[in-house]
Amino acid sequence: KLHTVALNRSVQGVTSKTVIATSTRTQSTDNRIEVFVNDQSVWVEPGSTVLQACEIAGIQIPRFCYHDRLSVAGNCRMCLVEIEKSPKPQASCAMPVMKGMRIKPDSDVSKKAREGVMEFLLANHPLDCPICDQGGECDLQDQSMMFGSDRSRFLESKRAVEDKNIGPLIKTIMTRCIQCTRCVRFADEIAGVSDLGTTGRGNDMQIGTYVEKMFTSELSGNVIDICPVGALTAKPSAFTARPWETRKTESVDVLDAVGSNIVVSTRTGDVLRILPRLNEEINEEWISDKTRFAYDGLKRQRLTQPMIRDGEGKLSTCLWVDALPLVAEKLMSTSPEKISALVGGFADAETLVCLKDLLNRVDSEGLCTEELFVADGSGTDLRSNYLLNTRISGVEEADLILLIGTNPRYEAPMFNARIRKAWIHNEVSVAVVGSKVDLTYSYEHLGDSIQTLKQLSDGTHPFSAKLKAAKNPIVVVGSEVFSRQDGGGVHAAVSTIAQKARISSAANRGGTDDWKVLNVLQKVASQVAALDLGYKAGADHIRSNPPSLLFLLGADGGVVDRQNLPKDCFVVYIGTHGDVSAPFADVILPSAAYTEKSATYVNTEGRAQQSQAAVSPPGSAREDWKIIRALSEVAGVTLPYDDLDSMRSRMGEIAPNLTRYNSVEGANYFKQAHELAKLAKPKLLDAPLSSSQLVLADFYMTDSITRASKTMAKCVKAASEGLSPDL
Amino acid sequence: FSTSSSCMNIRVHLPGSVVTTIASHKLEKDKTSRKDRKVEVEDTKTQAVQLRITDATAHDVSVVTGAPEEHAVTRKVRIFRPAKNAMQSGNVNTKKWKVEPETRERWENPTMGWSSSADPLSNISMALSFNSKDDAISFVERQGWSWFVDEAKEKKMQPKSYAANFSWDKRTRRAMK
Amino acid sequence: RQFVVPFSEMMKHFRHNYETDGGYFQRFRGVFIQMSRMNEIKYGTHVGTDELGNKYYENNRYFVGRNRWVDFNKDTWKNKWDFNASQITPEWHRWLHYMTDDTPTVKPPTQRKFLLTHTRNLTGTKDCYVPYSTTKPKIEAWKP
Repeated sequence: KLHTVALNRSVQGVTSKTVIATSTRTQSTDNRIEVFVNDQSVWVEPGSTVLQACEIAGIQIPRFCYHDRLSVAGNCRMCLVEIEKSPKPQASCAMPVMKGMRIKPDSDVSKKAREGVMEFLLANHPLDCPICDQGGECDLQDQSMMFGSDRSRFLESKRAVEDKNIGPLIKTIMTRCIQCTRCVRFADEIAGVSDLGTTGRGNDMQIGTYVEKMFTSELSGNVIDICPVGALTAKPSAFTARPWETRKTESVDVLDAVGSNIVVSTRTGDVLRILPRLNEEINEEWISDKTRFAYDGLKRQRLTQPMIRDGEGKLSTCLWVDALPLVAEKLMSTSPEKISALVGGFADAETLVCLKDLLNRVDSEGLCTEELFVADGSGTDLRSNYLLNTRISGVEEADLILLIGTNPRYEAPMFNARIRKAWIHNEVSVAVVGSKVDLTYSYEHLGDSIQTLKQLSDGTHPFSAKLKAAKNPIVVVGSEVFSRQDGGGVHAAVSTIAQKARISSAANRGGTDDWKVLNVLQKVASQVAALDLGYKAGADHIRSNPPSLLFLLGADGGVVDRQNLPKDCFVVYIGTHGDVSAPFADVILPSAAYTEKSATYVNTEGRAQQSQAAVSPPGSAREDWKIIRALSEVAGVTLPYDDLDSMRSRMGEIAPNLTRYNSVEGANYFKQAHELAKLAKPKLLDAPLSSSQLVLADFYMTDSITRASKTMAKCVKAASEGLSPDL
Repeated sequence: FSTSSSCMNIRVHLPGSVVTTIASHKLEKDKTSRKDRKVEVEDTKTQAVQLRITDATAHDVSVVTGAPEEHAVTRKVRIFRPAKNAMQSGNVNTKKWKVEPETRERWENPTMGWSSSADPLSNISMALSFNSKDDAISFVERQGWSWFVDEAKEKKMQPKSYAANFSWDKRTRRAMK
Repeated sequence: RQFVVPFSEMMKHFRHNYETDGGYFQRFRGVFIQMSRMNEIKYGTHVGTDELGNKYYENNRYFVGRNRWVDFNKDTWKNKWDFNASQITPEWHRWLHYMTDDTPTVKPPTQRKFLLTHTRNLTGTKDCYVPYSTTKPKIEAWKP
């Protein structure tokens, strides 16, 4: 009997048909209003649109011009719905809800309206779906199947529009365009460049760049995603695959320190494209062009076989069984203080743990990262010193942002997009100490001199008053300043500014001091994990203790080369690309790139994320940590883990935050860090604060993967020399 | 109900007193044959009643599925809800839970250049979908695989207003951007 | 069954085919080899030899289909038991398969400069054709 009673209860529960938008609905503060969607009661925030109310009720209204993250345009008319007491169907994307409104998205009027709109849209849309790259994931295709008529009444000729060349990334087939203006709004609002626009009216309306020029944005690839038809498609992956043929692997990007969430589309073990994956905390649903299009760099210049330098000084391929004993023998015969390791920007946390364990087993502590950080004061001892403490989404709560020595537009495009979002919607004011660059939003340029920084830390600068008055100020310092000789001094000055702002913000916020002010914007994906694990930042240790055995773990930043190493130094390169360091290595051990392994990366916020293997490593290449684990066994100092689970439990022992995926382990002790920084009494030099990436051409090729990418090379050419027909 | 499947969902569409009777009759009959079967009833937002029948006798089915031991022991399965395709507006494919073992090696077949794989489980994420995370976990556990759950990233609804395009003192104004 | 050969047939073969081979031992050996290769013992007129050294015989006493045969040149091939139908030259192939009744010795085929020299079917030998991938490699390896 029990189950029939329960069944009846559940039947009643459903028939009452009440859907509540969020579970935490409180009586007192709730100002939400009730509307009815298909006679189903829905509670929504006032000022929401009819379309959003339907979304809450679980009904998705068809749309072309409406996009969640763009402004409302209301020009495609696909979202027409019938609303009771309204004489005509209304565009639900632009219509605000009113109390007691009765929305009928499934009524005959709504259906007829959609069918009519669809008929008009298809009047000028070519019937080239079989040769269109959007085919299979096209909104127009989907919605005409769902809401369109089953036959055509159109007998006239169709309009045709000339294609435009807007750069090496985006292919345009403008005849397919339905003038939803999503791309125009994306360029205006998210990318912050007014490159795209419309010309003409009615039947003659066209989307374009007015004159033939490149769509000069680091986020340009996103217009391919938002285009609901096949007017804008990806040029590098044109005509390669249909979406239903590909396997989608949800992974994480490592080409900058933001850790954008991505989907890797593969077919037959070949990466065909990379798409963004929704993560409100990090990249919303955008990714930068480097993230999206640098994947062809994973297929060129790859190290696929182990190599040994032979008697004639030439590198030749060999087997793992030849290479590993050679390295192991060197490892055991070299005295511990002569062994060092240098890790590059793509190292994952597993490998960092493994390498550290191996070197510690042979009593060496010479573990360094290529990317620099300050050693003075508390240095890397306190996590708050090197994290983006307010997180990326914290930008949206800020009321004042001070950027020091950084160009976030090219160092972390997703972070810059978030600042721009806050700038538009929250009217946040931004100030910059550093190079005067185009950040896509207006800001107060305080100059690039160290003097300004000193004044700000003294509180004598006019801007200090604004900083003091701010409730939620954010101070962001770019990791590039640490490569200065007085990096420690800059960090100390910044931490003084941040600490003062923190105290004043706590007062402005009524005594709550949970707002973190100091932010460090890292440039490479491995840095936070490496510092969490106790690696020394910078290669100073290697320079002061010339090694006899040097492990380079994907270190292609050009920090060390043959000239500044001792002659007898035995260099072991573990990495993916034959780029800067592989040519001077004595042994090359090929490893897996980020799309080829399940690995942990910690982004600049301190958020641990997992990548998933989409394809297998090429040739004889193996996952990095497995190489080191194998090496340890050959050397007779076997590391006590032999699968990913035991590897990760070891990782969790050392740094538990590395295995708490998708959550940010907050850092604190700002006051203590600040006091320790002051104790070091660092000096400041007079050189101006500048960024190395000033214009778009500097953005594309920054590391071994992007340097191997032909697409990125084309982008650099187009951005620096202008468009040419071959791009 | 076969012995290899210990959890089975019956969806009954409403309104349907007739259908529910049939369903409960079936359950009644089944209960007499298998005493240790637990029946739960839960409602969902989808205007359907879900009857969940849990068979406590079936545990690890990997011994009877005939799968090679390698695929019963060494696989690590990710349980997730697929992300929305950034290329499309629709979100229907993001509702169900999927299970996906780690990617195994694919190689180029020397004869034709086609892609070969030795992984019999490489397609299960396309074939299997689950209504809830718990269903997916119980399935994966019975197969004897180790697993982890990747929680789906939810979308935040942002306030939208057509009027914002024309607000005279805001940066959302069209002409200001 | 085929090993039961009428003694008269054996003697005829002995007399007709191998009378020029010299010596009784060779004659007996010829019978034995023919038996092993063809599973039967036949005698006939030697109508010609092709450029590979294969000998062609005809005896119209046997009915059509069995009245023309080839005795493969056992010295041409590395393994003298390794013979097949592709080892005969095309002009003799015509005669052997009854496309014509004129042997190439009687009526030589017209020589044309585009004609290729005949090669046997190499399947199963070390020179056989092995298919190879013609797809572009997915990964370009770095060359130091």
